[in-house]
Amino acid sequence: MSARCMVALVALLFVGATHGAAQDAMHLLVVTGLSGERSFATSFNTSASTLLTTARTRWDVAPTQAIWLAESIEAGDSGEVRGVATREAIAAAVDSLARQSAEGDIVLVVLIGHGSGEGAESRLSVPGPDPTAAEYGRWLDLLAGRRVAIINGASASGDFLPVLAAPGRVVITATRSATERNATTFMTHFTHGIASDEADANRDGQLTLLEAYDYARRAVDEAYTADSRLLTEHAQLDDDGDGKGTSDTSVPEASDGRVAARIVLGARAAPVSPQVAALLAERRALEGEVEALRRTRDRYDAESYADALETLLVAIAERTQAIRALEARAGGAP
Amino acid sequence: MRNVLLMGVLITGPLAGQDATLRLDRVADAERAWAGGDREAARRWASPVAAAWERAQGGDGWSPSAHIAAGRAWRILGEDDPTAVRQALAAFDAATRLDTAGVEGRLWAGDLLLERYNAPDARVEYRAVLSRDEGNARALLGLARAASFEGSNDAAPLAMRSVAADDRYAPALHFLAQLLLESEQYDSARVVAERALALDSTLVEGWGTLGAVAWLSDDTTSFAATERRVTAILPRPAAFHVAVAEAAARHRRYADAVQFAARGAALDSLNARAWGVLGINQLRIGAIDSGRASLERAFARDPFHIWHKNTLDLLDQMAGFRTVRTARFEIVAPARDAELLGTILGPLLEEAYDSLVVRYDYRPPTPIRLELFARHADFSVRTVGLTGMGALGVSFGTVLAMDAPAARPAGSWNIGSTAWHELAHTFTLGASDHRVPRWVSEGLSVVEERRARPGWGAHASVDFLMALHGGELLPIDRLNEGFTRPTGPGQLTLSYYQASLVMEQLESDFGIGAIRRLLQGYAEGLDSEAALVAATGLGSDSLNARFTGWLKTRFAVPLAALAAGEDGVFGPSWATGQEALAVGNARAAVGAIRAAHERFPEYGGADGPLAGLALALLATGDTTRALDAISGVTTRDETAFEANQLEARVRLARGDSAAAMTALERATWISPEDVTIRRMLAEVAAARQAHDVVVRERRAIAALSRTDPLTARTDLAEALIDAGDATGARRELLTVLEAAPAYERAQALLLRARAMRNGGGTP
Repeated sequence: MSARCMVALVALLFVGATHGAAQDAMHLLVVTGLSGERSFATSFNTSASTLLTTARTRWDVAPTQAIWLAESIEAGDSGEVRGVATREAIAAAVDSLARQSAEGDIVLVVLIGHGSGEGAESRLSVPGPDPTAAEYGRWLDLLAGRRVAIINGASASGDFLPVLAAPGRVVITATRSATERNATTFMTHFTHGIASDEADANRDGQLTLLEAYDYARRAVDEAYTADSRLLTEHAQLDDDGDGKGTSDTSVPEASDGRVAARIVLGARAAPVSPQVAALLAERRALEGEVEALRRTRDRYDAESYADALETLLVAIAERTQAIRALEARAGGAP
Repeated sequence: MRNVLLMGVLITGPLAGQDATLRLDRVADAERAWAGGDREAARRWASPVAAAWERAQGGDGWSPSAHIAAGRAWRILGEDDPTAVRQALAAFDAATRLDTAGVEGRLWAGDLLLERYNAPDARVEYRAVLSRDEGNARALLGLARAASFEGSNDAAPLAMRSVAADDRYAPALHFLAQLLLESEQYDSARVVAERALALDSTLVEGWGTLGAVAWLSDDTTSFAATERRVTAILPRPAAFHVAVAEAAARHRRYADAVQFAARGAALDSLNARAWGVLGINQLRIGAIDSGRASLERAFARDPFHIWHKNTLDLLDQMAGFRTVRTARFEIVAPARDAELLGTILGPLLEEAYDSLVVRYDYRPPTPIRLELFARHADFSVRTVGLTGMGALGVSFGTVLAMDAPAARPAGSWNIGSTAWHELAHTFTLGASDHRVPRWVSEGLSVVEERRARPGWGAHASVDFLMALHGGELLPIDRLNEGFTRPTGPGQLTLSYYQASLVMEQLESDFGIGAIRRLLQGYAEGLDSEAALVAATGLGSDSLNARFTGWLKTRFAVPLAALAAGEDGVFGPSWATGQEALAVGNARAAVGAIRAAHERFPEYGGADGPLAGLALALLATGDTTRALDAISGVTTRDETAFEANQLEARVRLARGDSAAAMTALERATWISPEDVTIRRMLAEVAAARQAHDVVVRERRAIAALSRTDPLTARTDLAEALIDAGDATGARRELLTVLEAAPAYERAQALLLRARAMRNGGGTP
């Protein structure tokens, strides 16, 4: 290969390496509804506060791009809550997000609280009249062109999914139907997962919405199993717009999950030097080889497979070591 | 014989609306043939009666006695046909409707319901009979059987009432003989069974009880004679062999039970009970596949049997269980729990095996299978076939069954001591050829718990002290009744501790050799009296006198306090001390609580003065004495989770990490799925370079970290590297990195492990 070709390839790899690694602009609206009891208020507010803190500290979301509407202005720490979560305030907040966001931006809407109703009339209980799922759908339509994800973590939230489903839009609900009316735990696990490294399933430093959803769903399942309780909340996700949710997106027949996998909630900064970019590209290629090897695992005996896997993983580890050494020389790791 | 003939007479004679040629009296013949295993004859005689009843639109116009005859015929045909059972009940109910003053219909309905394992409905029928005829022996027997079926202690008194009502009622006498046999009163059982058989020689199960007494007493001559006599009466007496099999199983002689049940099944291949007893006991000796096959045959013939159905359902579920193997054990558990249980119980069981081999000079065959169940109901089904059994574990010999941690609330029991206890049974059962009585076996198992770890096993309790003070403890020669016929759960609990003290004293006075000789005596067929004499040279009376004296010396202080007649065991200062502690007056609390403790210094329950004393002393800043107090709890109460946590924290604060580790280890056996405690233990152990403990704990944490396994497995890999096990670390890291190749921490560790394996040592 000529030197010119090599330079061109490295440049190409650099472009490839940066794609998806840099953080897309994100906007966040969190709505916490009526709690009814102190314990629920604590749970809802903790989830909302964790979301906002994580968005600010790990996802680089500017304070102006994150809105929390709560059952009362005193729900969060000083200044955290932007207003009371009335129907009008929610509509205005979505309108504000529509105006301040640009095409391609990620807009994440999170509803936390107690749900009620059925079908298009499903609701989240908020101070004053409760907006229906159909109304949320109309408001989300204002965000056309953005990469929209709405998470309804409330009880009885399942019927929101078919109402809000749209091509390119991610809809997550904590329950699979309006009949699952018990208080949910999905948001507690979801916020724990995103606030720690636990939800980053492949530990690549890029937490996707799909990873966060999968983590929370598994954690809910595990918590119920550990307590020997019957599972009364079955989270689901739709992102192919067909209005039919998928619970376990890892099964081969799952039709949902592809859009959520491309929504990166938190990512490392893009590389600053061509050497690092090249190493990253090599590492990514090796990771692809690991994936290819995994797919052909049944062709190997256990020992040969482990040896082949180790060879690739050691090569990856060595690239990582080199990257960190370069970054250290350049003035500190990201 | 008399009863059956009488019944035959009752149903003869002109009956309105029935076929004049119909021989209702042949129903009794059918029942006799049925009892003797001659199904063809039984059906031949029963079918016409049932068919006639059906043709007559459910016996329309028949007399009550004819309905009863039809019901009895349907009962025979219902052996493998649930529809026929329903017809039988309908016929009995019709008899009751027509003869509102009579009781026969209800008695037959009750018997049928009980036969079909429906004790609650059977009880309703029997009670209805007794409301009209309070001395009805058959109804009283029915209630006794229902009580026995449900494991109630009321069975014996009800059976006695039945016999008192009619001392010539053979079935009641036989049932009483069965109860006597169950409580290992062989001589009484034999006498009563013989009386029953003298009244009705066709009672095949009565012969079974007589045979079982002979077999369990190792009287092979009498057994052979009994077998010959029953065979002379009934050529294919499957029920005889099944009855012996059931008795053998109740006496923990499961291999014998398998042999007898197999003979019963061979004599009558359609006998559901024979296949059922065979299957259940095959499962108990670890023959899982053949046990399942036998139970399938039983279930096909008798789908009503809830034990068989439950067990088959459980076996289906167990197909998803995972087996973790160690050198001498197979730990079988739900896939979700297997790694944790294998990690913590595997090494413990191996340690226990080595320890117990030395103690008993006996080496059980291996592998020993330990099954654990995440639902207590499943454990209960595995052991007694029904839900609701209270025990934590069961030993069938080389097959053990236990609750898994999820089966019970964390902190309510100790999984380590339970496993040790059950394994000790494996040794005492094996060393005695499965002839050791419950009291000895349980007593030794509790002793072994206490020897295994400070704090494990039963210790002195307030209830025990009160029973000792009140003279309520059973003498040694009756101690087995505390297990086989306890007056309540309280007596059972007391009996465990008392039996352990008897064994402890025997060993203290006569050495471990006496314990081995005792077990050997049982193996040779000696009864308890003879075995005790062979082991110690003393009979139970002498031993009991020594034991009582020993107890009085050992508990002299609290007995004196009780004799003084003050309030309760701990006296009024206990309440005073608690109040002082509650209001923050720690110094006053120390004095009062110490006074309470000194009244019963052997007591270390977490609800007692020692725990309060520790808190009060901590509040005064006297950590040295506080630790003395708290360790008095943690070394006497095997479920004192919070006390162990407290001890660990205080010891760590004082820089005593070795003792803190010990306390944390104790806590992990009480709450095995508590990741926080295991992390704490791993960290303390790591600081002390106790690599084996770190690796074990990190492995346990990995097994428990179901939502974030990558971090936990990476921690485990790091622990393995620190312990010098680069190969094990590589295995874990490949698993982690296969799922998450970009995980930098794991990558770095993989490079370290590789360097070690290439001879570079730990980088």
